[in-house]
Amino acid sequence: MSQQKATDAPATDQAKAATVQPSLATAMAATSKPTESLESVKEYQEKRRKAEGKHHWNDEKRHGFHLFLLVSPLLLFSILFSYYPLFGWVYAFYDYQPPIPLSESKFVGWQWFTMLWSNPTQLRAIGQVLLNTFGISGLGIITSFFPVMFAIALNEIRSKWFRNLIQTLTTLPNFISWVLVYAIAFALFSSTGMVNSVLQNLGWIHKPIHFLDSGSHVWLKMWAWSTWKGLGWGAILYLASLTGIDPELYEAAQVDGANRWQQIIHITVPQLLPTYFVLLMLSVSNFLNNGMDQYFVFQNAFTQEHIQVLDLYVYNIGMGQNSLSLATAISMLKSVVSVILLWAVNTASKKIRGVSIV
Amino acid sequence: MRRFFGMLKSHHISSDHYDRHSWHLSRATRSHVGAAIALLTSASLVLAGCGSASSQSADTSDDGKMMTVDVFDQIGNVGGLQKGWFAKIIKDKFKIRLNYITPNVSGGGDSLFDTRTAAGNLGDLIITNTGDGRLAKLVKAGLLTDMTPYMKNETYLKKFKSSAQQVEKLAGKKGIWGYGQDVSDRSPSEPAEIYAPKAAPYIMWNYYREIGYPRIKNLDDFVGVLKRMQDQARKDTGKNDIWALSLFKDWDGNAMANAQIMTNWYGFWQEGQVLAYGNGTQRQTSLDRKGIYQKTLRFLHKCEAAGIVDPDSSTQSWDQRTTKMNNEKILMTFWSWDGKLKVNSAENKAKGVGFELAPLEDQKDYVSGNLPNGNIGSIIAIGSKAKNKQRLVNFINWLYSPDGMYSSAAVSGTPCPKGLCWVMKNGQPALTDFGEKAFYNPAGLNVPASWGGGGFAEGQSGLNFQTVNYSDIDPSTHEPFDPRVWKSELAKKNPLDSDWSAHMGGAKTDMEYLEKHHEYVVQPGASYASPEEDSQISTVRNQINTAIIQHSWKAVVANSDAGFDSEISKMIDTANGLGFAKIQKIDDANIAAHVKACDEVVAQYKAKH
Repeated sequence: MSQQKATDAPATDQAKAATVQPSLATAMAATSKPTESLESVKEYQEKRRKAEGKHHWNDEKRHGFHLFLLVSPLLLFSILFSYYPLFGWVYAFYDYQPPIPLSESKFVGWQWFTMLWSNPTQLRAIGQVLLNTFGISGLGIITSFFPVMFAIALNEIRSKWFRNLIQTLTTLPNFISWVLVYAIAFALFSSTGMVNSVLQNLGWIHKPIHFLDSGSHVWLKMWAWSTWKGLGWGAILYLASLTGIDPELYEAAQVDGANRWQQIIHITVPQLLPTYFVLLMLSVSNFLNNGMDQYFVFQNAFTQEHIQVLDLYVYNIGMGQNSLSLATAISMLKSVVSVILLWAVNTASKKIRGVSIV
Repeated sequence: MRRFFGMLKSHHISSDHYDRHSWHLSRATRSHVGAAIALLTSASLVLAGCGSASSQSADTSDDGKMMTVDVFDQIGNVGGLQKGWFAKIIKDKFKIRLNYITPNVSGGGDSLFDTRTAAGNLGDLIITNTGDGRLAKLVKAGLLTDMTPYMKNETYLKKFKSSAQQVEKLAGKKGIWGYGQDVSDRSPSEPAEIYAPKAAPYIMWNYYREIGYPRIKNLDDFVGVLKRMQDQARKDTGKNDIWALSLFKDWDGNAMANAQIMTNWYGFWQEGQVLAYGNGTQRQTSLDRKGIYQKTLRFLHKCEAAGIVDPDSSTQSWDQRTTKMNNEKILMTFWSWDGKLKVNSAENKAKGVGFELAPLEDQKDYVSGNLPNGNIGSIIAIGSKAKNKQRLVNFINWLYSPDGMYSSAAVSGTPCPKGLCWVMKNGQPALTDFGEKAFYNPAGLNVPASWGGGGFAEGQSGLNFQTVNYSDIDPSTHEPFDPRVWKSELAKKNPLDSDWSAHMGGAKTDMEYLEKHHEYVVQPGASYASPEEDSQISTVRNQINTAIIQHSWKAVVANSDAGFDSEISKMIDTANGLGFAKIQKIDDANIAAHVKACDEVVAQYKAKH
């Protein structure tokens, strides 16, 4: 996308051209006259092409070939893992039912896609899934400053052993798999779990509270679990950048009479912001990929309506309901939505910062 | 995409010197990339081609070596190698070890079936469901062995060849592809169960006795009785975690399984979302507000409102519920084979404690008729890549023999082999002490070393495939395989059964009581499996099933009657919106076809006898 744009751009915009237009960049670098007109560039290219015609395998080329060999494994991997799987998209256009091989399956064209918006109920189902995806991801992004606050708070703890203890305890959950997290959740919050038993024995409630098997506040509960699991881990990067802040800044502030709170507001926070924005951008780009293992383990008949995010929906349809072709079609839609999101963020970035991300 | 461009870009801006070459290089690269793509494409074609090739030539040779047989077992409940005494029997007889590959254990629905079939080898021995065209697909993809060339000496398979013929019809290709479950010699209009129906209300009889045998006219009465039983049980034991009902979600398929099974108490069976009574009358759907499914849903909801449903119901699994059942924490079950086999141990029966059929007065329990052609809904077959096929056919033949029946004890509803579990006494079969324990309460029972040692329960067959109906007569004993109706067993007395019998008008078996009160209905036993349906339809069907299960559960645990009704309304709206009418049309046709098959099989049997 950006490549095409850059081709249309005038040659005077040197920075842009250099990043994206190889032939121009090569030519200009060779002539070392960046402001020269397009005519002379073309002339130069012509000359080079003629020169190449004479001796085919000159040193430069050999050197370049070696460099190519260096990147080729990476190229191969990106083809293998990013492009080759796209071959699987053909399943969305067939009526694939194992064990009948694809070659003998019926070609159905856009059937699975049209089915998705064939009637209002289907449309509502997809809409609800997208809403869940956006909702849960959105909650995560809105609260993405939590780790920053946590890191700052942690940094302000004077007692070293206590700080280390807190940090270890909060980082640990990150290494527990979601299946085990669910086991913990079940032990604590099931109808006969610890929390309900304690509350009942205290006489505070008479009927057990349905923590796990109710459809209300599912997004919040899921957000709470992922925060519990990821808070300590998320703070690590900020702790690292906290140590990188120049102590002179603090000293200067102290000399100026700033108290601890003022130091946090005027030094720590601004110093952490660049890191925060990089991470925020990364999480925006992962907007649709909120994973499925967490929601998979927490899903049941009661939570399903609000917990089914896109990835889980694809799994449920493909693996749970055995409709592999439809699942493929839906996951293709995910790519489409991703591209739209990317385009939107990129446009916004260009408008606001004047620099495109992609 | 981004990664790819990003890589090129960073290369360009890294240094002017390198830049000079990169463009030419990428031109040179193009042919490489092209070659790579061509290579990958051809590789994928080769890979895709793997599954389709298969040879069907008969090879009756046998290497005579011990072999491990991979069993893909869709209805099995254990994974891994067969252990214990059953393993020893088949090792001695056939030199085989069974290795079970079971979706029920691995989880993930049909994904195991899909991946294995796509790889071209489902297993050596295959026990699979056949409905929705699955059998036809397996045969078409060349994954099953035609057993025709191996049938020379297979007495029992020849005896039940009508089952193979039904399977052949379903497969749509000539050959002997497999055999159905539960085949029988007896009349299809007679009940296949001679002791107890599979599904009927069973209650902890001792608590029912304690509250004074109240009348149970209908389901509404039943709620009250269960509530009183629960109160009594909690008072007697001082335990507050005893519940009248404990539900679970594992078996939810096209509706909430616990409510669905109760429709059997009223004589209904179903194809997809359409239910029919007895031999196909009174058709209705799960969405009918006055239909039987919603009646049983409402019963569960009333139980929930009365506070007699285990609060773990919506989250627990079948295994967790089984533990509770074994610990006598549940007072009512939907099946004859559930509580009775788990709680009614000899000691308990001597104390008068255990499960018995409840005298629910309006029950009309559904009982399947005998199946002359077997139940071809799931079949046993041999994979096309299996080795020593003759030996495997011999093994299947043995499974259909009386010897094989007794060896598959617990699964087949028989006692374990003669000599260990039963002996002939005065010309009649009679259970040994070991046999009695093994049949009614095998927990903790160990097998003698000469029979292979180990725990009895752990060593029983994991195939979970009922070959011959246990109500059939064993020609060597002249009594049915099912020991519960042996003369020697019925003569035994214990306080529990005697009390029940005295209260139920002297009935000796559940079927005897139900017959006297006209409280069961027989559907003639026809072999029927639903045909393949359009995959778009089955996708819609799956969505509807999910919606119905979801709203059924929500309705059952709703806080109020209004909440129940609103969930039911949502269920009906969603299902209709997704295209319920289409599904109903197909299920109606399937019911009609099933009924027709029933009539045919009855006529066929009459013509023969």
